[in-house]
Amino acid sequence: MIKRRRVVITGLGAVSGLGLNASEFWSNLVAGHSAIKPLDPPMEGVKINIGAAVPEFDPEEYFSLDELTLLDRYSQLAVIAAQEAVLDANLISGEEILNDAAAIIGSGAGGKHTDEATYDQLYKQQRTRAHPLTIPKGMPSAVASMISRHLGIKGPAFVLASACASGSHAIIQGMAMIQSGIIDVALVGASDAPFTYGLLKSWDALRVTSSDTCRPFCKDRSGMVLGEGAGMLVLESEEHALKRGARIYAEIVGCGMTSDAGHITRPDVDGIINAMNKALHHAEIDPGEVDYINAHGTATLSNDVVETEAINQVFGKHSKELAVSSTKSMHGHALGASSALEIVATILSIYHDIIPPTANFTVADEKCNLDYVPNKARHQVVNVAMSNSFAFGGLNTSIALKKYN
Amino acid sequence: MIFDEVAQIIAKVAHCKIEDVKPESELMALGIDSLKAITVLFELEETFDIEIPNEVIPSIVTVNDILNKIDGIRQ
Repeated sequence: MIKRRRVVITGLGAVSGLGLNASEFWSNLVAGHSAIKPLDPPMEGVKINIGAAVPEFDPEEYFSLDELTLLDRYSQLAVIAAQEAVLDANLISGEEILNDAAAIIGSGAGGKHTDEATYDQLYKQQRTRAHPLTIPKGMPSAVASMISRHLGIKGPAFVLASACASGSHAIIQGMAMIQSGIIDVALVGASDAPFTYGLLKSWDALRVTSSDTCRPFCKDRSGMVLGEGAGMLVLESEEHALKRGARIYAEIVGCGMTSDAGHITRPDVDGIINAMNKALHHAEIDPGEVDYINAHGTATLSNDVVETEAINQVFGKHSKELAVSSTKSMHGHALGASSALEIVATILSIYHDIIPPTANFTVADEKCNLDYVPNKARHQVVNVAMSNSFAFGGLNTSIALKKYN
Repeated sequence: MIFDEVAQIIAKVAHCKIEDVKPESELMALGIDSLKAITVLFELEETFDIEIPNEVIPSIVTVNDILNKIDGIRQ
């Protein structure tokens, strides 16, 4: 086995339908509150009428007018969450430690608000000029540049895209870079702001969204519900964190990444099984040690059955002893950002020994036979947890986390 | 007055007071960097329905330069 440096989490930030910071995110998850509600205002000509949108906020409370000219909504959410994570890690924007830190950010959709505003002007309103900041504001990598700029991060910075696993892949990349000694500190996470006319029409066309609510693993589930937000983490080598006396939330111990090489939207049970097995193997964890899985749990007809089957196969008898919940029932499916928000939820579950529930739960699907922690959070010691994210296009990730000691 | 409209555009992009924009003001001194300059050009083209060729950009230093260029293009 190759000797790797240990990687710990020292800062968290979360912007979601549940609030503009990680403490509101966590307290609402523990209370089982769902942020899913009718879109306000409703979008004309779009079938999707519910979502977990970030509560209304005034961007000018966070950014100057000058800064806002370059910040698409997905960058705004990302920078707010990144600033929270860095402050939470007891680091200050621009300080020396951040000079060499990385910013590795995922996004499923990128700067769609900016792109669509320009396309609307050109295609619909027949204007002849595009706004000159369309490229720097809307390009998929803009969010990494904006985080680097706002926090004074001067190490490697780039964006990863793998649809709904973008955040997990970004976190894994940061972990691997720290394990291998390339960097000591990484700001990692993901951001998405998908409530635009073009994106909602495109999701309409896929026919996978619910008009009721998000009920993962339930018999009467009717599909996924979109959300928006950003989840950010500060990762550090254990040595670096201990040296500066940082508070450690948990340790990120392993990852599994697979791709299906198959159907573009239908999940593949083997791809999911392999991702979880690889994460356990990489983390050197016995399946019986896992207390909690934060599931991908989209509430689509196929995901929940396939993910359940995969968990049964990987964990055998222990699958009936571990807790599985889908926090998407509360923060919605914020595309790439979901995977980062779910890692934040999983870390806080380990830190507080509380398992957030699957909200909106009615009756389990007969093919969904696990303990989904219905509707009510559970106070229980969580030593080892995993977070699953499976993206459209058959891109699967599973991340293993452990209580730090 | 062309000046009033130009001053409004510059003040909006630079986030400065409109009173600070004078014909002799240098754009850089008003906070118009290269990125803001392309936004000013975009707004000028939209407002006056003109095309400002890229070649004239290096010679624009002051607000007066903008006024002269617009005059030249419109003639």
